[in-house]
Amino acid sequence: MAIVERPVTPALARGGPSTPALVTPSSALGVFRRPVSSTGWRSWVFTVDHKKIGIMYGVVAFSFFIVGGVEALMIRLQLAMPNGKILSANAYNQMFTMHATTMIFLFVMPTAAAFSNYLVPLQIGARDVAFPRLNAFGFWCFLFGGVFLNTAWFLGGASDTGWFAYAPNTSVAFSPSHGVDFWALGLLITGIASLSGAINLIVTVLNMRAPGMSLMKMPIFTWMVLVVQFLLLFAIPVITVALFLLIFQRDFGAAFFSVDKGADPLLWQHLFWIFGHPEVYILVLPSFGIVSEVLPVFSRKPLFGYKFVVFAGAAIGFLGWGVWAHHMFASGLGPVSVAVFSVATMAIALPTGVKIVNWTMTLWGGKLRFTTAMMFAIGLILEFTIGGLSGVLHSVSPSDTQQTDTYFVVAHLHYVLFGGAVFGLFAGFYYWWPKVFGKMLSERLGKWNFWLMVLGMNMTFGPMHILGLQGQPRRMQIWTNARAGDGFFNGAFWNLVATIGSFILALGIFMFILNVFRTTRKGAAAPGDPWDARSLEWMTTSPPQEHNFDTIPHVHALDDFFHRKYEEDEETGEITQVSNYEEIMHELHDKADKQFHMPSPSYWPVVLALGLPIIAYGVIFNRLLAVFGAAIVMFAIFGWSLEPSVADESDYEPPSDDESTKELATIG
Amino acid sequence: MTNLRTRYRRSALSAAAVGALTLLAGCAKDAPQDTFQPAGENAREINNLQRPPFMIAGVVLVIVIGVVFLCVIKFRDRGQVIPKQTHGKPALEIALTIIPALILIGIGIPTVKTLFDLAKTSDTQCVVNVTGQQWWWEYDYPVQPGCLPGGITQPIVTANQMVIPAGQHVLLRITSRDVIHSFWIPKLNGKRDAVPGRVHTLRMQADQPGMYLGQCTEFCGLSHAYMRMEAVALDAPGFSAWVTNQLAAYTPPPAGTPAADGEAVFLANCSRCHQVNGIAGSDGKPVIARPDLWVYSGATPNLTNLMTRTTFAGASFDLLTPDCRAKLVDAKSADFTALYLKGVEANCLDAVQLREWLRNPPGKKPMYTDATKLGPTNGKTRGMPNLGLSENQIDQIIAYLAERK
Repeated sequence: MAIVERPVTPALARGGPSTPALVTPSSALGVFRRPVSSTGWRSWVFTVDHKKIGIMYGVVAFSFFIVGGVEALMIRLQLAMPNGKILSANAYNQMFTMHATTMIFLFVMPTAAAFSNYLVPLQIGARDVAFPRLNAFGFWCFLFGGVFLNTAWFLGGASDTGWFAYAPNTSVAFSPSHGVDFWALGLLITGIASLSGAINLIVTVLNMRAPGMSLMKMPIFTWMVLVVQFLLLFAIPVITVALFLLIFQRDFGAAFFSVDKGADPLLWQHLFWIFGHPEVYILVLPSFGIVSEVLPVFSRKPLFGYKFVVFAGAAIGFLGWGVWAHHMFASGLGPVSVAVFSVATMAIALPTGVKIVNWTMTLWGGKLRFTTAMMFAIGLILEFTIGGLSGVLHSVSPSDTQQTDTYFVVAHLHYVLFGGAVFGLFAGFYYWWPKVFGKMLSERLGKWNFWLMVLGMNMTFGPMHILGLQGQPRRMQIWTNARAGDGFFNGAFWNLVATIGSFILALGIFMFILNVFRTTRKGAAAPGDPWDARSLEWMTTSPPQEHNFDTIPHVHALDDFFHRKYEEDEETGEITQVSNYEEIMHELHDKADKQFHMPSPSYWPVVLALGLPIIAYGVIFNRLLAVFGAAIVMFAIFGWSLEPSVADESDYEPPSDDESTKELATIG
Repeated sequence: MTNLRTRYRRSALSAAAVGALTLLAGCAKDAPQDTFQPAGENAREINNLQRPPFMIAGVVLVIVIGVVFLCVIKFRDRGQVIPKQTHGKPALEIALTIIPALILIGIGIPTVKTLFDLAKTSDTQCVVNVTGQQWWWEYDYPVQPGCLPGGITQPIVTANQMVIPAGQHVLLRITSRDVIHSFWIPKLNGKRDAVPGRVHTLRMQADQPGMYLGQCTEFCGLSHAYMRMEAVALDAPGFSAWVTNQLAAYTPPPAGTPAADGEAVFLANCSRCHQVNGIAGSDGKPVIARPDLWVYSGATPNLTNLMTRTTFAGASFDLLTPDCRAKLVDAKSADFTALYLKGVEANCLDAVQLREWLRNPPGKKPMYTDATKLGPTNGKTRGMPNLGLSENQIDQIIAYLAERK
């Protein structure tokens, strides 16, 4: 007999009808009983709880991180020496294509989704997202899409056209394996995850904030997530269209990119980068949000220039749409277009610079505690600055025609995406681990993790600046001594350094995995407010109960939790502690709501998502299979539509009249 | 006060470090694709444009690192009271937005100016058509009044090495026969993509005779890493001599020599794809290659004067032995033209590379030639298949090709 937290309907809270002896969940479509368990594997597979979904996003995304990391190590091994022999040209091309695809679509984006899913409702004082089943559906699309993409390795080879997949190299004549089909269909499926997640979080943030939390009192992480969701909302449809064109080109004889039928292959580049550049901000803004939470907490100061950071984030969200062609400065757009995109690219450096200034000024005059989370956040400021500055150099378009498609760009993008996005995610891991799992990650291993990653990343990507400026193009299976040069900038030396660095980086990431295992097995239980934090997600238990808050807090200020704990003397600015976590929690608990309206688990999200890869396999191998997949999808859509959002009362045993178990119910 | 001074000293030190690094970059020897060592006016214009932003970026980086480290040292938690909850200083924010904006305007204006300068085509003196395909470059010289006194009177088609007159403003008209490639000779100019169905122009000018290396930089499929190019600039008389030689009539090998046997083997095995201008079959009629029947991209390197160029197979392999190659590449610009015009002499021919290639081309350079997998390309290969030549045939072909100059 399990104890579950469950929706309590008014009727039940009043005492309800007489207790049924056996629990008989109501049926869905007359066939299946609605899932109700809150323990065991069923409680995960059929969950609609944003926290469980967030954790699943994180676990799956991190697994893909390891896959993408192994791919990266293979690439670096191949390039360690001249005329590398580790990978064939064909294998190498698949490797770098899948490395980028995996890291972008299957690691950074879903890890950001993990944080957003878990934290946004907590940060705004909500009990779940607006559309809980849609949320679960998004996760399953991501998982099945990602797995589908990677099954290509075993079914004739993965895509070998690069993650940018420039036409016409993606047509069947030039890429005859099914790799590109897997790639395009897989990304379409994961795109559904991003799109449904975007709509869900936008509605959640705009409608479900706690009373008193105006937009300008919203935590900065939630703000950045909101900007990212709008970017996704408009960017994903563009890549979706592009991928559809590509699939019709490859599998149904269309000619969208066939030059011999009058098409212009630059169409693909425009579509891809109109998605692809906002995508960069989609990847990096959540991490900007994370460090904007972490730096104030460990500096004991509010974020410097909160409004500026919010508006800078929004400005990036707008300007991000006007810079896509800076990926195409060598494509032959003509000087007028290139000039416009050069200037726009310079302009977007400004709001980005604003963030760096504000983070640094947040540190200034603070009381800095160097926890691992804080170190990753400070690391982000420095590493991202390097990537940002080399980005400004690319905006000088004539200069970019020398650097584009060389290792200089590889260095730039990894300083932005590893030094920026990934460092931010790691800051988030350390900062919110106690919140999510109720245990503290080891700070000692954390320091190892941080320093090895800093050393590894700079050893790996730093030399790539040199290699690129020395003229080593990217995406080359081999390099030769003949073009490596001599002296300090000798390419052979720096290629080897980069490879050694990549293994140090991998060791750093291994430290994190080790830390997670040790913490899970014998980590210290986390106090409720281990960091003396500032925002609402810390104003509940760790890990939070299913309904997040016993009572929805009323918000009076930005950093409301901090202001409940501390009072500021108006004149002297002196800070005095007036309360603490325990007292605030007691207060909230005493006012606990009598009933919570919580959504019930459902089969349909996972069933619906399962139909999609079956359709995709069908498109590639057998159209009948696609029909079968479509039937599953239709069935699930009907089931979903007819299912009430909350399970029948009779699915549960009612709670006892005893006040102490008012939010609990037991089922057999 | 002391604080300010240390800060000043620290940033001065760092600026010096950045300067030293840049200087080192300038001294790097023998980096054939170094993007900071221009050898022609277009690349020089880019170089002049890009140096200040690199310096500024270096200085900004040093300042950011300096300030962050200062914070880390100065504001460490030493048990001080919780600081005042400052929410920001709009004046400071605005100032710190305007300063970078001004720097960017300072970078932006010369950027746009240079951009339009580099797009000019009005001063063109010589035109070369550049066509990329998987995985080599073809260069053809249309009939034109320019390039040399008296102009080019017959079209010339060559591959892998692009020969241009030094000092002249050459305009490349770049396109592709299959996927997108990118043409890049870093010492002469930035990149320009070769896009099928479009012709993009790119200015080229080399100050001095010499060899300038490059590499295809747009990922173009399986053998992208093996798609290289070499630009060769010759002095004016040298270029005229080169043109005259390219247009010279075919000289069949003397009967009874291995080269004559080689011609027969070539006719039987190679000439269906590879053109040698003027070669005639046993019936005396000229033999015209039909690469479009066999190769998906529709063209193959023209081998008429193979030994006037020093490289083959997408400039991936040398026809010269390493010693001779080094001598040519390192030659002083005054000696370069004469040395290059000698072509590949018998004592310099690296027959090993060529023999390995003829024995099994897809084994030496990755290509799509597996007959069982050519369905999507209607049975046509992408690259050169293994022709199953005997060692004897290979020797004869090499003897024949060695005279093609």
